[in-house]
Amino acid sequence: MIPAAFDYKAPATLEEAVSLLAGDPDGAKVLAGGHSLIPAMKLRLAQPQLLVDIARIKSLSYIREEGNQILIGATTTHYELESSDLLKRICPLLPACAATIGDVQVRNKGTIGGSIAHSDPAGDWPAAVLALDADLVLVGPNGERTVKATDFFIDLLTTDLQPGEILREIRIAKPSGRFGQAYQKVPHPASGFAVVGVAVHLSLNDDGSCKSAQIGVTGVGTKAYRAEGVETALAGKSLDEQTIAAAAAHVCDGVDPNADLYASSDYRCHLAQIHTKRAIQAAKA
Amino acid sequence: MKLEGTHELEATRERVYQSLVNPDVLQRCIPGCQRLERTGENTFAATIRAGVGSIKGVFDGNVRLEDLREPDHFRIVVDGKGPPGFLKGAGDLDLQQEGAITKVKYAGDVQVGGTIAGVGQRMIQGTAKMMAVQFFTCLGAEAKVAPGEPPPKQGFFRNALRWFSGWLKSLFRR
Repeated sequence: MIPAAFDYKAPATLEEAVSLLAGDPDGAKVLAGGHSLIPAMKLRLAQPQLLVDIARIKSLSYIREEGNQILIGATTTHYELESSDLLKRICPLLPACAATIGDVQVRNKGTIGGSIAHSDPAGDWPAAVLALDADLVLVGPNGERTVKATDFFIDLLTTDLQPGEILREIRIAKPSGRFGQAYQKVPHPASGFAVVGVAVHLSLNDDGSCKSAQIGVTGVGTKAYRAEGVETALAGKSLDEQTIAAAAAHVCDGVDPNADLYASSDYRCHLAQIHTKRAIQAAKA
Repeated sequence: MKLEGTHELEATRERVYQSLVNPDVLQRCIPGCQRLERTGENTFAATIRAGVGSIKGVFDGNVRLEDLREPDHFRIVVDGKGPPGFLKGAGDLDLQQEGAITKVKYAGDVQVGGTIAGVGQRMIQGTAKMMAVQFFTCLGAEAKVAPGEPPPKQGFFRNALRWFSGWLKSLFRR
């Protein structure tokens, strides 16, 4: 449980962090909250040469409302998101999701940016940012670029983030009109990771029927994904019991559900269907 | 742990079979394969750098091909170990031609132990699936090329991009 030798740098600015990474794009690794990276290093499953600690860059931690957007800095901790009164008011899915992550210690240190950049197949944030159709702002040696969350997650622990790039900000369009949100999760009893996690954002018509639905699912496949089959089955429908159940049945469409010691592939898909149904019911209420 | 799946390749069954038992092709297509040497008629020694994201490990192992029935079946037996853990297992590959497509069906049982099994259990199957897709995508490209012709340049575009971004970087530093 002792990591291999590595260098450690704690830059004061983002520019400095980017130039440190550019010096060794393959051997350097960004450290944020460290709740996935450090355990992997202690087990020597990851052996970076250099850690660039961005958690000390003050200007990377914020939750702001700007025009019709919500801006979240990458090193904002789970706890800061969980306890934000602003988010509880304008985008309750984020605090709801944050509250389910790990335990208090993990939430005090772990960051939203770290979770998204790591792309753990059972991480909670990927499902939430997919359901909110977020934009992710990446900064690298060649400047800044913005990637849609739907294009960001490529595969197991693999994202569009290139060596040398840092996830800087998460941008979410402020939900408007009548809407409903919910996050439903089956936590693994030991790790707290999602065996399945379903994030739902519904745009509702005045009569309570569904205008459109955005559903992010984590824990089921090798990466978090949008359950498009469910979204299509809900769009324009009144949200009665049968419609919701029929829609939720599509949650594993096109996905080969993971199997591990805790849950077989069939059981995991079953859980996903049940919790999709519950999440939609909670969101419309 | 059971591993199974089917991949479709656009090539004749004979060509796919030849590629699957050709160590040169395997070395190019097995993700992270650094070394694959023939040690006997149907046995090979391999060094594979496997992993995803920042989680990586180097495994040394042996591969044995058995029950070779060209062009529709063989059995592969592997064992390997490295700092993150060990694995051993065996699987059957069946090739079936349907028109211009060859379906490769594989089914195997793999035991994984050590650190990787203790803490990475929930990721093992995902990693295996991801590597299988990379392997068969590469194999599909290899099997399309006629024997004797140079192998397809899988990494050409990526190399060009990397070179280009390196060049841009050097411009910026100046």
